[in-house]
Amino acid sequence: MIEVREVSKSYSKGAVKALNQVNLTVKNGEIFGFLGPNGAGKTTLIKILTGILNVEQGQVLINGVNIKTKPIEAKLQIGFVPDDPNMFTRLTGTNYLNFMADMYLVPKETRQSLIPKFLERFDMASAVGDLIQSYSHGMKQKIVLIGSLLHNPPVWIMDEPMTGLDPKSSFILKEMMREHADAGKTVFFSTHVLDVAEKICDRMAIINKGKVIFQGTMEEIHKHFRENQSLENMFLELTENG
Amino acid sequence: MDKFRSLVIVLLNSSFGISAIKQRLKKSKLEYLKILGIGAAVTAGFTPALLLYIQVLVDGFELLAPAGQAGAILTLGIVLVSTMIFYFGIFFVINTLYFAENIETLLFLPLKAWQVLGARFSVILVYEYLTELPFLIPPIIIYGVKSGAPIFYWIYAGIGFLLVPLVPLALATFLATVVMRFTNFGRRKDLFKILGGVFVIILAVGFQFLFQKSGPNAMNPEFLQQLLTNPDSVINVISRLFPTTIFLAKALVHSNSYNAFLNLLTFLGSSCLAIAIAWLVGGKLYFQGLNGLGEVAVKRRISNKSNFKQLAKVSSPMRSYFTKEIRLLVRTPIYFMNCVLSNFLMPVVLIIPFFLQSKNSQSSLPWEDLALNPKSQIILIAVISGITVFLVIVNSITSTSLSREGKQFFISKYIPLSYEKQIQAKLLSGYVFGLLGTLLMNIAIGILLKLNLDLIILIITITLVAIVPIIEVGLLIDIYRPKLDWDNEQKAVKQNLNSIFTMLIAAILAGSIGYIVIRYLETTLQAVLFILISYGSLGIVFYLILMSKGIAWYHSLEG
Repeated sequence: MIEVREVSKSYSKGAVKALNQVNLTVKNGEIFGFLGPNGAGKTTLIKILTGILNVEQGQVLINGVNIKTKPIEAKLQIGFVPDDPNMFTRLTGTNYLNFMADMYLVPKETRQSLIPKFLERFDMASAVGDLIQSYSHGMKQKIVLIGSLLHNPPVWIMDEPMTGLDPKSSFILKEMMREHADAGKTVFFSTHVLDVAEKICDRMAIINKGKVIFQGTMEEIHKHFRENQSLENMFLELTENG
Repeated sequence: MDKFRSLVIVLLNSSFGISAIKQRLKKSKLEYLKILGIGAAVTAGFTPALLLYIQVLVDGFELLAPAGQAGAILTLGIVLVSTMIFYFGIFFVINTLYFAENIETLLFLPLKAWQVLGARFSVILVYEYLTELPFLIPPIIIYGVKSGAPIFYWIYAGIGFLLVPLVPLALATFLATVVMRFTNFGRRKDLFKILGGVFVIILAVGFQFLFQKSGPNAMNPEFLQQLLTNPDSVINVISRLFPTTIFLAKALVHSNSYNAFLNLLTFLGSSCLAIAIAWLVGGKLYFQGLNGLGEVAVKRRISNKSNFKQLAKVSSPMRSYFTKEIRLLVRTPIYFMNCVLSNFLMPVVLIIPFFLQSKNSQSSLPWEDLALNPKSQIILIAVISGITVFLVIVNSITSTSLSREGKQFFISKYIPLSYEKQIQAKLLSGYVFGLLGTLLMNIAIGILLKLNLDLIILIITITLVAIVPIIEVGLLIDIYRPKLDWDNEQKAVKQNLNSIFTMLIAAILAGSIGYIVIRYLETTLQAVLFILISYGSLGIVFYLILMSKGIAWYHSLEG
């Protein structure tokens, strides 16, 4: 579960307000899509949720743990996939997965049972021993995805996770997101692709200019507007007026 | 031509970060002060070395002037700069032309190879002028002022200054483009970089070897004189490598004569010719050499059991973080060259003179009674602890520790490992490499100077402690102001002021401790205890600062 309460964030000593009193609740068992135009504040919020940026005002709770006061405990709850998969490109896939598993205190037995399954599923078993440098963009994305799941995180946060994935991998990822949520865990991801959001999200939020301008299920968003409009039209209308 | 000019401007802008600086200046007036302050600190840091260089040149002038040979200091300066530009240039040219991050962004633009090559060459040239400045300006001024040179001298010197880097850089470019065209090194670019670097270092050590072989005291002016008059001397060997430098030297020394003008013209002509050839040949070969660079050699194998076995290897988070630090240091060519290799190289380079001198010199060695005389023991201990500090500064592992992470610094922020432990792991990686290098150094010095075991053990004990505060200062500075915004690994380690700030602080600390030891202390025991206590307590103080202020700064950094 993710709870964001009255979170604000500004850059350049207050000159630019990146987030303005954001409130969000993402429940367990839910896939939550986070939508917004470029520069709306999506990545800023994700960085705050994961502890990369500090919370200046407001409160962020990850499964009830405050990321500001108990950062390590909160971070252990999270599996994170950043928007740029170029992580430690001079390590091999094996080095990288080991590193992540060590960081998140994954026991030996879990590694032995989980890693081969993930590698097989994402078709990465033959590449895991090679330098990440030699991977294609999609392969890098896949190794980062696997690394984020090793500790079976109660909260899975992803920044634009579909970018660079081929159709098959993208399908598998969506499947895994569903499985993760169905197991009672939280899945939170940002995306530009409205089709994806429409198809797999249980709920979503739309952010524009640092403010959350809508939050709810697809049904609610349709009710909010005229029934037959596409998400694309509603999104454009919302963000332009915002 | 317009395309070319705008390409040069863009490349210069991005490589010096001009727009970024302008934007910072726009934001606040304080930035002016910051930039001025940094400039002043850097200048102050280099002043002692520069003063020493000037002193050697002045001595050289006075020694050689009676024999009418004073022009040799100019030749020496020009040859020194040319050689330096050539060797560093090879690295620089290959890095900029073939391995820079933004290579591919230029490839799809409608530009001809000669335009890209020429524009990149111009950027390198500007850097080389900056490098040339502190090495060539002193001999030009000293010779000019002391010999009361006429106005032509100064004009020729100005033109000469601009021309000097052209021939060595053209040669470096020529070699680089030819080698890159006809080899497939590109696919193994990391390995190639490391091998190339090692090759350059072997050359450098080789030169040191030659210098030492030619005479007993390399930095003695008499030896220099001997070098300059001896037809087989190293200077002649080097100037044979850059024969055109002789023309500039002659033009400057006889600047009032008509021949001087002809010599300058010859130098100008040969420089232009070298550039033209390099540009022409390079233009033909450059893009062909770039092919396949983006690829990395891979043979995908079906994963075997050993792979899965490795995947189940559990380590503590801190140990895993430490291993990651070491792996990245060793596997990233630029980090390997600057942070790892320098640890082992410096001992070798510093020891060679001792080694060769002890073989060549007929007279009794000045350090033979060292172990017997308490005052010389004290001096020895002070000097060796100073060398230890110097070695540890040179590797700059901790002073670029966060900087090296660059844009990936965010990873350190989101992983569930406390900042305290991350800082400790970073200190440990600096300590391990620092220790390996300094131990090698201590043992070598011990054997070469035939020190007794007690003394060697004392020195090693001092080393174990003296490393600590130095790596801590480096890390503190790098946490306070990490350089995270770079597009080229070189900028993280080589163009990082944090190493220089660390150097300044460490020099002040080591200098003060060394001064007190040599000036005031009487017995070896006093000296050892004083050094141990000073470095030890500094180590504790800095550690406490790291664990309080350091963690707070780390926390406030945002990836």
